[in-house]
Parts: sequence; C-alpha cells; structure tokens
Amino acid sequence: MPKWGMTADLDRCNGCGACVTACHAENNISTVGADEAARGRAKHWIRVERYWEGEFPDARLKFRPVMCQQCDNAPCEPVCPTYASHHTADGLNAQVYNRCIGTRYCANACPYNVRFFDFFNPSWDKPLHLQLNPDVSLREVGVMEKCTFCVQRIKAVTIQAKADDRPVADGEIQPACAQACPAQALVFGDLDDPESAVSRLSRSSRGSKLLEDLGTRPSVTYLDRQSRTDA
Amino acid sequence: MDRRSFIKLTAVTGTSAALSGCGNPAAPLVRFVPDEDIMPGVAAWKPGVCPLCAAGCGLTVRVMDADADVVRNGQAGVVRILAAKKLEGGPMHPINQGGLCARGQAAIQVTYHPDRITQPLKRAGNRGDGRYEAISWDDALKEIVSRLDALEGVGNQKALAFVARHAYGHRAALVAQFLGRYGAPGPITYELFGDEVLRRANALSFGREQRPTFDLPNARFVLGFGADFLGTWNSPVAQGHGYGAMRQGRPGIRGAFVQVESRMSQTGANADEWVPARPGTEGVLALGLANVIIGAKLRPADAAGRAGSLIDGWSAGLSAYTPAEVERATGVAARRIERLARQFADTRPAVAIIGGPPLAHTNGLFSALAVNALNALVGSVEQPGGVFFTPQLDVVAAAKLQNVATTAPPPALDRFAAGILSAGAAPPQVLFIDGVNPVYAAPSAWRVREAFEKIPFIASFGSFLDDTSKLADLILPDHTFLESWSEAVPESGATIAVASVAPPVMSPLHQTRATADVLLDVGRRLRRPVALPWQTFDEMLAATFGALPKATPDADTWSDAQEKGGWWGTLPAGLAAAAAPAPAARPVTSAEPQFDGDPQQYPFHFLPYPSSAFLDGSLAHLPWLQEMPDPLTSAMWSSWVEVNPATATRLGIGQGDVVEIASAHGTVRTAAMISPGIAPDVLAMPVGQGHQTFTRYASGRGESPVPLLAPLTEPATGALAWAATRVRMSRVGDPDGRLILFAGGMREETETRR
Repeated sequence: MPKWGMTADLDRCNGCGACVTACHAENNISTVGADEAARGRAKHWIRVERYWEGEFPDARLKFRPVMCQQCDNAPCEPVCPTYASHHTADGLNAQVYNRCIGTRYCANACPYNVRFFDFFNPSWDKPLHLQLNPDVSLREVGVMEKCTFCVQRIKAVTIQAKADDRPVADGEIQPACAQACPAQALVFGDLDDPESAVSRLSRSSRGSKLLEDLGTRPSVTYLDRQSRTDA
Repeated sequence: MDRRSFIKLTAVTGTSAALSGCGNPAAPLVRFVPDEDIMPGVAAWKPGVCPLCAAGCGLTVRVMDADADVVRNGQAGVVRILAAKKLEGGPMHPINQGGLCARGQAAIQVTYHPDRITQPLKRAGNRGDGRYEAISWDDALKEIVSRLDALEGVGNQKALAFVARHAYGHRAALVAQFLGRYGAPGPITYELFGDEVLRRANALSFGREQRPTFDLPNARFVLGFGADFLGTWNSPVAQGHGYGAMRQGRPGIRGAFVQVESRMSQTGANADEWVPARPGTEGVLALGLANVIIGAKLRPADAAGRAGSLIDGWSAGLSAYTPAEVERATGVAARRIERLARQFADTRPAVAIIGGPPLAHTNGLFSALAVNALNALVGSVEQPGGVFFTPQLDVVAAAKLQNVATTAPPPALDRFAAGILSAGAAPPQVLFIDGVNPVYAAPSAWRVREAFEKIPFIASFGSFLDDTSKLADLILPDHTFLESWSEAVPESGATIAVASVAPPVMSPLHQTRATADVLLDVGRRLRRPVALPWQTFDEMLAATFGALPKATPDADTWSDAQEKGGWWGTLPAGLAAAAAPAPAARPVTSAEPQFDGDPQQYPFHFLPYPSSAFLDGSLAHLPWLQEMPDPLTSAMWSSWVEVNPATATRLGIGQGDVVEIASAHGTVRTAAMISPGIAPDVLAMPVGQGHQTFTRYASGRGESPVPLLAPLTEPATGALAWAATRVRMSRVGDPDGRLILFAGGMREETETRR
C-alpha cells in the first residue's frame, strides 16, 4: 500500500501562482465573486503564502505554497461527527462530501487553514460550465471542501496500472499543482518507496514540516530556501 | 410542537423541496443528435498553442464529451460536443517543458466566456454606447469589401489602417501580406509593456533585433535589472523552469541571484540579495560594475567587443563610472558595487538580465546597451549560462511566396492619433482592430479614443466588447485558439528554433470565423482581388511546415508537427531570419532620465507594472484570474497602490485607506497597500483593472494607473517611457471595502509586523 506525500522546494518556488489556477481548473473550484470574496468566502485549495521580513531597503519576502498537509495525525478527523473527514489506507485525509453536514469543526481544528466551506451552491455562468472536470464531484452548499492530492488522478493511474498488471511508476501520478509548476518545485509520490523522488527529497537536510511541533505529522515536506552561500 | 406534528411538518417541506428540484415540466430537456463521433467518458489529449502572451508556450489539451446548450430551428436543447476540459503545458515543448503559468491555465475561460461575441454584429446605436444588432457573415463581409473597394476606387488604399499587437508568426505574416498587396501601410503595433527598446539595443549590440533567451540552468550568477522574468516578462514559464534548475538542478551547485529594482517584484522577492536603486539609474549601475571589473583587470575591456564600443568611454575603462560616482547617481553604496562586480566577474557563468521598468525611462536604450556590454564583458553572449537569441523561422521564405509584398512602415500609435487629430492631414478612412485595446492601454495624453472616433469606419476582430472595440461599427468575431488553427513562432525562450502549430481542438461554439480565413476571403471578394496563394490559413501553415527539415528521410514534417504541437530543431540557412547587420551607431553616454512633473509638486516616482494576473489588462475578463490572490499582496478583484510604510506613516495613511494619486495628466483614487518592498519615494500600481467596458467580470472594476501616465518616450525608438511620470498622493478616506484580500492577516505576517 503506498503512502502518498509531497515535497515543496522553496528554493525552486518563485511564487508565480500557477498551482493556484491549475487547482481551480482541475478540481471544479467555483469562483465566488468580489462580494463573497470580501466576506472571506473565496476558496483556494492551494495558496501561496507570503512572509515579509525586515524593512526597506533590507526587506525580504519568502513564498510558501500551502495546501492540505494530509496529516497522519490529522486534527480535522477526530472532531468530525459523521466521519466525513477520515483517513484512507494510502495516507490521504479524505473528505466524503455526502457525509458532511457542515458543522465546520474540522476547519476549526485544522491548524493550516486549508479547509473551505461552501456557503452556497456552486454556479458557473454558462457556457463556463463546459470547463468542468467530469472526474471531480461538485460540492453543494453546506459542505466542507479541501485539497485531495488530486485523488481522481491517483485513482485513474492506479486503476490503469492494475489493468496493465504493473506497479505505478514513480512520477506517473502528478497532482494538477505539481503538473503545472514551471519551476518543478512540487514533487508527488509514494513515501513508502524509499527510492521514489519524493522519498529522497523528504529526507533532505533542508526538509521540515509545517508547524511540526503540533504533532500533526504532515505528509508534505518543505525544503528550505537556502540563503546565499557565496556572499 | 409535539413530535408528531414536527415530523409531519418536515415531511411536507421535504417533499415540496424535492419536487421543486425536478425541474420545470414546461421546458423539457431536448437532446439533439451530436455532430461528432464521441466516446463518452474517454479523454483525449490534443496539442495546442497558448495565445495569451508572446511566449508561445505549447499546450496539451484534455478533450472530453460535454453537454452544450444550443438552439436548433428555434428549439432550445442540449447537444453532446467534444469540449476542451483542461490546459496543461506540452511536456515535450522546448519553451515551457510541461509547465504552464496561471494565466495559461485560465486561457480556457476565453473560449467558454459567457460574454463572448457569438456572431457578427453591426452597430445599432451611437458610436461607443455598445448597442449592436446581429448581421450575417455574408452581409458583414460585403460591408468590409465595399469599404475596401471604395478606397481602391479612388486610389486611396493607404487610408486603411490596421492596429495589432507586436507579433511574429504566420498570422502576422499573413496580415502583413494582405495589407501590402492591398496597398495599405503595415500594421500599427502597440503594447503598453512592449520590448521595442530592448530589441533595438540587442540589434545595436549583437545584431539581433529580438528579445533575449537566458540559459539559466547553467548560470551560476544571475543579476537582474528590474526584469520580472519569473512573473510577467519575456518567456516566464521557460525562465521559471530554468530558475528552478539554476537553484536546485545541479548537485552541489546553487546559482546565486541578485535583483536591482526600486519596487520588489515577484521575481525580486526570490533574490538572495535585493538592491534598490534610484529609478532610471540601472544602466549607470551596470557601468559601475564594468568599471570595477575592467579596473581590477578581472576581464579586459576589449572582451566586450562591439557591445562595449557602443558605450562612450568603454575602452578607457569607464573613468566616469567609478564606484563613488555611481553611488552618487544610484544610491547603491560603493563598497556594495565593488563586491557585486567581483562576484559577477568571478562566479561565471554569470548573466545580467534587463527588462521592464529600467527600459521604460527616457534613457532606457542607454541602460539596455550598458547591460548588454556587461554581459559581453564577462563572455556571456551565446555561451552556456549566458544570453542567447532564439533562431527564428523566416515565415515568408518558408511559405515560398512569389512577389513578396512590402508595406510602408506604419507610424507609431501616438503619431497616428496625433495625425488624425491635426487639421489638414488625410485621415484614415477604415480601421481594423485586432487584439489590442489602446483606448485602455495608451496614456490619455495620446487621445487615442478621440482620434479613433474621427475614423469613419472601424471593424474589430475581437471576441469581446472592450474599451476600444466598443467604438467599432462592425464586429467580426474571431474563433478562439481552441477552435481554430493556432500557431506561434516564439521570439525567445529556447536556444533552438521553434515553430508551434496545432489544429483546432474542438468545433467552434458560436457563429465565429478565424480572422486569418476572413482576411483571405475578403481578399478574394475584392474588385481587385488580393492574390494570396492559399484558400485557408491551414494551407499557409502546411506550406511553411512542409518546407522545414524532416526528422527522418521518409517523415512528413507537416503531419509530425500537427501531432507534436510544432516543429523544433536547427533551421537551414535559407529559412532562418537573417541576423540584421548591426546598424552603425555612435557611442552613447549616460543621459539623466527625464521625469514628467516637478519634484516639489509631485514628490513620488510612479511605477505602473503588469499585474501577475492580467498582464497589461488584456486578461481581466477571466474570473479565475480575478479571484487568484496576487502573489505579493493576496489581493483579489481589486486595485491598489503600494506605499512604503515610512511614507504611509508620514502621510497618515493606513492599510486600505483610499488615497488619491495625481499626476500632471490625471488622477485616480484607489486603496493604499502598505508594502515593505518599495522605496519611500516610489508608488507602484498594477495595471489590469479599471476597464470601462470588458465583460461582466471586469467592467467598472477597480482602477487603472494608465490615464496618469505622461506621454514621454524613449527618443530613439519612440517607445512610451511608462515609468517616467511623477505623482503626488493624499489620503481621501477610510477603507471602503474596495481592497479585497485573501489572507486573513495573522498567518501570513510575522509577529513583529502585526
């Protein structure tokens, strides 16, 4: 059984935001419009966070792409009264939309702020509905949604590999964010395979987990942006 | 309420809710028989070419069945079509190598936009009020033909004007050949953030009049001068790919990156060292570095060759650019200049990149030539880790055209508008608008709208009603890139020659026609036909791609290219655009940048910049991009002006306060964004919002900095010096909700800043 994980190389990430739009396109995330966005209801399963340090002229800015960290010890799971938020055998933090009754306990419990509530039914001004991905279900009003590591892509590749009677090759599954990233900052794969690219990168001395002292055991490893070595 | 009545009540409301969900029986769902052979649920991947900027990235498009709403014989219903579902970067494409930027991802919304113009339209109201009536393609083409015939009848063909973006490729060549054979001047090109100055500098320094390509994966030291090369400038996906490899693609080697600019761009945020320099002094700084390198004998002055000889005083070691002198001009400390110079000369391969704001000053050409000379000095021209020039396919030569038409050089847009407005000039009678919006993107001082209103007949090929196309008398909507043959001949982004091409990915959704085919059709219908050897655009593409070298002796280049999404490789001599012999030029000396506005009255430099989402505003109609948080500010659906915290404190301005920015040419009210990454005497504002008319998503949304810009130009090229305006700022009100941020604040700001 694989254990899916990701690394985000902050030395490669340059904050361009390609992952953000790619995620919208792949996962049928509806735009909410200016008024609802102003109420804090915009949904971005992956976002680029910005950390300013210092003052002009020594100002410095660091980018960090943040998506659901798919924690092994996920605070969102035990609080869900309906088991909508639960753990799968391959290490995903799954969200069953049909079970979700919208208590939003999971969003309160999540320290990463990566869960988004649907305050209304999604709508697309026609014919924008033609862009919808038929592999991803739409979320109706009152449901929590979040990054799935593009579970539909994981399923598609594993089913195909099973049909071909072969193992899934390393790098064969690419979530939309990793696929789009021009700088190849995001790498996805099986953490249980010690030879996979994501396993090797996760063991890097530059690696750390987001808020790891909370004990959430995330599946996403951030590789630190290096400081200058030759100055 | 007892339990029984509660259950009764919920049963009743539950049933009525379920019934209302069953739809309206008066409007039954009619399914028409599909036109295409469709396997439901099975995705195909087809090549495409991204149309949103000049980079020309290759796409792979996921195509699947979908239900489209249609009306057939007056009956509304749905029909299953093959529809594009997702755009991804072409994995094999030499420019983007599988990646695709946020804008490219959103390009699919151009095709599916609810406010697309779905058929030819004729103006029904007064010009500019946006009222149109439907017209058939036949009547629309007759109207165009009669207008052109009328001009030809009186021998006044030069009164046809064509306004477009700067473009290089098959479509652009076809337009030029059409205009030339008809007898009109060539297309007037305008882009707010154009690269004319850099092209001219590269022609002078290296004999290549084109944008440069950088071999970032092999570079060990990158020195940026204002160029937002990871965000919006040149070939951002190719450069982003190279940047990732430059940082972490080589075991044990991490390339260093230093950025010089006065407002931190998305690119500058990634620099190891960020060096603010005074606006317009970037070229002086480059020569300061060269002075140290030559003086310390790290490289000999004559290593720079021709590029060096274009700089006055180069062979004498640039004695006017000692670190102390350069510190006075740029504000960068002399010791820092010396250190950076040594690093640049010692950490080779090193490459300097100039683009964007430094070139948008009245001395922009000088700055570009200075940086070119610096690259030549350290041996980084056409060398691994350095600057390259993509070999370019000569489309006209490959098409084997007989009687190649040449066009009279067109005037620049500002001269064109001034010519119309001046008394006594013979004004153009017919104007074609193709993919540009100069009423929005040109400074108000050029009076483009006023000039266009004086032209008797305007036709637009655009897919949307925008600030410019709403002046049109006739609209002949183009297909989008997914519905027609698409192509690009990228000017930069690869070290080998690239020509992208892709067949239509899906059938047209609406009653639109490919503009290239419309021009060919019009040419045939004219009383004196414009004779081009192709019936349709794809015949032209087949001719040029068929002429390219074959991969194997029995291969068919044209079918291979359609399958792969293009052709790339080494061009034979006859098909490569010749490197222009470097024009003679006198050595240039540094010139003080000129600014519009008295520094006492207008104390701030004003920097408009292409927004990450919308570039020059041409993408503001795409909802995904409107809602994408800006990388540096997390703003969505908004405009803002970036203000240094110390400046804000001094003027009593807080985050989100409404401020008024005024130049000698206009004023704008927008929200203040307090940003540590900007010099205290600079105000920066993204371009993109502030359209009067541009679909439901962008019309009347936010503010544009463009109307404030002074009509100063770089004298050698005539390019707009868009960074040369000075402004003043005052607080006019409390936050009024116009600034919408995605970040809640606490997670994305450090403790000390809160």
